[in-house]
Amino acid sequence: MLKGIGSSEGYGIGRVLLVKEQSLEFTPKTDCNPGTELERYRKAVDEFCIKTENMAERMKATVGEKEAEIIAGHILMIKDPYMNGEIEKFIEGGQCAESALTAICDMFAMVFSSADDELTKQRATDVNDIKNTVLAILLGAEETDISAAPANTVLVAKDLTPSMTACINKENIAGIITETGGRTSHSAILARAMEIPAVQSVPNATEILSDGDMVIADGSEGIIIPEPTQSQIDEYTEKRVKFIEERKALSAFIGKDTITADGIKVELVGNIGKPDDANKVVECDGEGIGLFRTEFLFMDRSSRPNEEEQFEAYKKAALIMKNKPVIIRTLDVGGDKDIPYLEMKKEENPFLGFRAIRYCLKNKDLYMTQLRALVRASAFGDIRIMVPLVTCVDEIRAVKDMVKAIMDEYSASGIAYNKDLKIGVMIETSASCLIADLLAKEADFFSIGTNDLTQYTMCVDRGNADAAYLYSTYNPAVIRAIKHIIECGKKQGIPVGMCGEAAADKLMIPLLISFGLDEFSVSATSVLSTRKTISDWTKEQADALAEKVLSAVTEHEVVEILKAE
Amino acid sequence: MVSKEVTLVNAQGFHMRPAGSFAAAMGKYKSDVTIKFNGSEVNGKSLMNIIAACIKCGSTVEIICSGEDENEALKEAVSMIENGFGE
Repeated sequence: MLKGIGSSEGYGIGRVLLVKEQSLEFTPKTDCNPGTELERYRKAVDEFCIKTENMAERMKATVGEKEAEIIAGHILMIKDPYMNGEIEKFIEGGQCAESALTAICDMFAMVFSSADDELTKQRATDVNDIKNTVLAILLGAEETDISAAPANTVLVAKDLTPSMTACINKENIAGIITETGGRTSHSAILARAMEIPAVQSVPNATEILSDGDMVIADGSEGIIIPEPTQSQIDEYTEKRVKFIEERKALSAFIGKDTITADGIKVELVGNIGKPDDANKVVECDGEGIGLFRTEFLFMDRSSRPNEEEQFEAYKKAALIMKNKPVIIRTLDVGGDKDIPYLEMKKEENPFLGFRAIRYCLKNKDLYMTQLRALVRASAFGDIRIMVPLVTCVDEIRAVKDMVKAIMDEYSASGIAYNKDLKIGVMIETSASCLIADLLAKEADFFSIGTNDLTQYTMCVDRGNADAAYLYSTYNPAVIRAIKHIIECGKKQGIPVGMCGEAAADKLMIPLLISFGLDEFSVSATSVLSTRKTISDWTKEQADALAEKVLSAVTEHEVVEILKAE
Repeated sequence: MVSKEVTLVNAQGFHMRPAGSFAAAMGKYKSDVTIKFNGSEVNGKSLMNIIAACIKCGSTVEIICSGEDENEALKEAVSMIENGFGE
């Protein structure tokens, strides 16, 4: 088994077709006849344009208008008067067409990839793709013919260029494996558009796999299995059939409201860890962001991010979501999340110690920076602030005071922000559950974090194998806690959401409907399945089930009742 | 020479499609078209240079046109940007 990045969900089983890298080597010359070289170059560009136009035409039918437009953009790029002018200038100076093309394309690719902007960076791939295609035409190099691949082919390549992807016949290609790229790379976007499972960034895939080998590409988990056993093939074939059936059933829920069978509307939003992930939520039809974890901004670096950097990240998520709610959780450091430069002390019981809001309120300058960035970013969408690990009213009051002070300052200096910025509490401890009625008077919303709520309610470290049997959301104690929290929120008239794994759990969803949960926040890939499950229940059916569950005495009984439905 | 300051309103900023249609539209004019942004000057007829300038939504740029049809060029440039390139 080899690990990579799952960039297009699903399971591909088939035989390897290695997409060989064309040799695009050439001997640079500087004493060419400019006249003949110019003619060669212009002929190659003409051929490139015809080829690209045909490809864009084909892609309109296979992958869609938007992707075809990107490919068609390659024609605009190569015909750009400045770029073309520079290349021709080099040729007029005696360089061969290959050298001139390479020099100018490399220059633009470098400028694009060093930009501080994801979209501009992606354009570097386009420039490289143009360069390689035109070079291949100039050198008369032969391409592996992907369009003629037989059924059940798994493509294996160093990198899949947009022009290669355009030749794919999606009926025959079962999967894609590449050595480079990730979820946002161009080939990944195309793979998802064509619903072909893809695993990318698998090191040395082109060396480990050879033509004709059997291979499984698991795009959901991001792994590949070279030369699988018969039982593995059977297992994955079953998974594949199930996956395709489910996808078909779920596609009916795209663009629909999230409503129960008897018409009660709830909100269905996504959990993210990076601003770019918001695109995935949009793609999966999420109605907003219910949890944006901000730790990533602080991790894998040697010093804390400044206000500007944080502001850009929050603003980006807000802009992607276009005025839909974006709930951003402030720094949840400590526990199992260590950030070396914050120099947090080793603790005997880190989960009960100096973490999250406790740490932030003691390190005010760090927290102020984050809150300042959040308040500024609130001018660009419906950003809401969520405070983690609250255990007493003082904590949420302290945060509200800090935000108020920032707003006063911004008003005085004319900096824009949302005056109606909502501040909510993440309910994930026994303490906050027991005083949920008091917190509801201070907070604009609740969000139940079921992972930590289960851990703190059951008093169990889920990492401890001997105690982990207690770590279950189906324990009567946890179910009562959830019910109590939702009731307290409803009494005070504030919305209550849930951002833990339970919100996407088929077994839990009817209970949450019965208790009156307003917002379900799930991983992007669970959006449609959650919408479907919600649509299966009426309030009355959910209430009847909840009544049975609430009379159950043990975790085992709860699970039995839920599974029987 | 004529010029005007405009702010980009489309969400993606000056990207592939907007930059492409802008450069193509400006290419029809005889005048030179320059986009002044962040202190540097960009050839408004070159898609590649516009992308490289990385001009995002909310940025203010100055469009400078110079030549025999400068007024028409400026008028179209400003209206394209102000209308968010039809996005």
